[in-house]
Amino acid sequence: MSWLRLTQEGLTEWLRKFGKTHRLYGPVWTGSYHEFKLLQDPGEIDWNYRNTRLSPKSLFLPPAEKMFVYSLDPNDPERAILKEAPKDFTPRIIVGIRPCDAYALQLVDRNFITSQYQDPWWVNRRENTILVGYGCTDPCSTCFCSSVGSGPFDTRGLDVLVVNVDGGFAISFVSERGKELLRREPLGARALSESEERALQDKMAQAKAAMPKLWDEKAVASRPLLDIFNAPFWEEVQFSCINCGTCTFLCPTCWCFDIQDEVWKERGCRVRLWDSCMFPLFTLHASGHNPRSQKLQRVRQRFMHKLKYYVDKYGDGVACVGCGRCVQFCPVNIDIREVMRLMVSHCQCAL
Amino acid sequence: MTDWEPKIIALLCNWCSYGAADLAGVSRLKQPPNIRIIRVPCSGRVNPKFILASLRKGADGVWVSGCHPGDCHYIEGNYYARRKFVLLKKFLEYVGIEPERLHFSWISSAEATKFAKVAEEVVEAVKKVGPARYLVKREVEVE
Amino acid sequence: MYEYTEKIKEIATRLLQDKVVDGVIGFRKGTIPMVNNPVFIKHPEQVSQLYWDSWCGVNLANYLPKFQGKVAVVAKGCDSRSIVVLMMENQISRDQLYIIGVPCKGMLDRRKIWDAVGDRGRDVTDVQERDGVLVVAGRGFSLELERDKYLQDNCAICTHRNPVLYDELVGEMVTEQQVDRYEDIRAIEALPSEKRWEYFQKLVESCIRCYACRNACPFCYCPQCFVDESKPQWVGKTIDPTDTMTFHLLRAFHMAGRCTDCGSCERACPMGIKVRMFTKKLEKDVKELYGYEAGVQLGERPPLDTYRPDDPQEFIK
Repeated sequence: MSWLRLTQEGLTEWLRKFGKTHRLYGPVWTGSYHEFKLLQDPGEIDWNYRNTRLSPKSLFLPPAEKMFVYSLDPNDPERAILKEAPKDFTPRIIVGIRPCDAYALQLVDRNFITSQYQDPWWVNRRENTILVGYGCTDPCSTCFCSSVGSGPFDTRGLDVLVVNVDGGFAISFVSERGKELLRREPLGARALSESEERALQDKMAQAKAAMPKLWDEKAVASRPLLDIFNAPFWEEVQFSCINCGTCTFLCPTCWCFDIQDEVWKERGCRVRLWDSCMFPLFTLHASGHNPRSQKLQRVRQRFMHKLKYYVDKYGDGVACVGCGRCVQFCPVNIDIREVMRLMVSHCQCAL
Repeated sequence: MTDWEPKIIALLCNWCSYGAADLAGVSRLKQPPNIRIIRVPCSGRVNPKFILASLRKGADGVWVSGCHPGDCHYIEGNYYARRKFVLLKKFLEYVGIEPERLHFSWISSAEATKFAKVAEEVVEAVKKVGPARYLVKREVEVE
Repeated sequence: MYEYTEKIKEIATRLLQDKVVDGVIGFRKGTIPMVNNPVFIKHPEQVSQLYWDSWCGVNLANYLPKFQGKVAVVAKGCDSRSIVVLMMENQISRDQLYIIGVPCKGMLDRRKIWDAVGDRGRDVTDVQERDGVLVVAGRGFSLELERDKYLQDNCAICTHRNPVLYDELVGEMVTEQQVDRYEDIRAIEALPSEKRWEYFQKLVESCIRCYACRNACPFCYCPQCFVDESKPQWVGKTIDPTDTMTFHLLRAFHMAGRCTDCGSCERACPMGIKVRMFTKKLEKDVKELYGYEAGVQLGERPPLDTYRPDDPQEFIK
């Protein structure tokens, strides 16, 4: 990876140049937490932020959005025609996204972009968004990206990576789209000196060392699914769960949604909104049968999905990026790292 | 001034207040046309959900009326209703919904004139605060 | 309150060895600072996991509705009142319970600690408590904070710190404080109507409808919550502001005369919404109109399940 060096002012100035052609999003403090907001000016970005409360998946899969609309107004020439709800898919740049959250978007791509079906809203937003990532030089104690196949400077999913160094930033243009940005607007940066390069590598190594690998997930990957499914430790894990939707709503890799129809007078729309496998009605069939009516089934399903089903289906790692939001905000402190530890030790004992 | 006429949803108990409304009509008493009546078996059947649902659907005012305490056809339904309503009224007022939008009364089936009078009062009170502003569910506000 | 840990373990061991209960619901130490994990201990060998400190805010009565079998539960003042109300509502019977009462000096609010640590989210890795002083530490910093300034909002104004119903206490009863519980409610009542609506709109604007508040509450045990009713649909499921407000208003109203102000709802909310601003108003009105406090008197009917012929009715025409 080749790095360039610039000051915070320099980076802000460069981002400003894209203001006319791109909508800029960045982490902004709301008074009690950080959130990715549409910026009037890149100077609003809080570069000291750790991570946002809600993951940036809400910029691609909003908590609620209209899909289709219709009108029965007799004066409307397009009445009684079901139309796609108008959307703004104009180009965007998301600045300051953490490598874990960016990699999460790639994981979620597997769900929304398949050979048979491509979700138009997800696809359009992904294609029109450039991700300028912000490496984690000081990981939180709840972060564990390195244990799930990612890392504090993981460039998968990123177009540009920015790392803060003494006196400014080091920046690397990772993907073709990132390099295109550089070609469009010159950066006014210089290459790193040798000592600066060494200092950067040291910093990155230190950050990685701050998050030791917590377990060997190969034990789980190689074990038969039913063996883990029927393990006795789920009884203990599920007890404290209150089946709220916090973990699923904050999670950058959760993608489940519900569809509701909303009608008002002569207008109506079909809305897609976040749903959670933690809710008892999530698996309620129209017949009245509910295969996951018990809390244990739902809790087990969430962890099995992230840590085993996804692994078995796609063969390249768990559907968790180690952002730590669920660990921090579960009201009863159900810790996915603990659950993984239980799964690994169950698999290892069984060997 | 303006030709806005309020829409008031009236939840009237079948045995007393609805009878009063009927008697008022039969007696050709003059009363405002803004009242839309929903007949319930007892004022105690009225769930706060109904009042909120009426406000959400755009009712400018909600009026619940039942038998006088002690005269409930189901003996004690209106006693429970009384407790529910006072709490709900104070709560909705606290949240910012104008107190003039919620009204409660005890009207027995013989009190046709009271019915017409209260109807007039309710409509006047709601006219003062204007069309419903809060808690009206219009087109869903999502992106 | 660390000495409670040993007492809780001792009681639990005894109960499990003597087979008085099928299990003990308590807390074990959390994997991260400032939060603990409710646990169901079934065997005496597991008792060593039990733990108690100032971060045991979750209301364990939440796990009781429709519980099968005999269970011991560790209950603070507010939790024990919740248990009383649950018993009155036939969700659990007294003979199923062995209540381990904890006289509580208040639980702490980690959001206030985060604010104190400052820097918009500095990572706290360790919190120790000693004689009313909290030592909050992270990478490269350590702060000493006065414990009593960081109580959860509901604990700061708590008037029932001692359990009202218990089978055994883990310590001496603590003195109850005399405090005005409704100062903030009166402040809102004093505002004009539009300002109040604005205040509440702002309060719930970050709500993501995760229902953590509802699920953390011991009294939200309806097999089908009103938000999931579809015929008719009383409230939409999206984050539409009107629907969100309707959800909070109706949920608070369902708590009228039942809420014991345990603060679990506020604690559970991932967005930090002060949902108690709704429930406290109803608690105040129930107290002033009917002289009723939830869960204090065993056998007292809930206020909306009873009546007096002379109940206040000046608002009725």
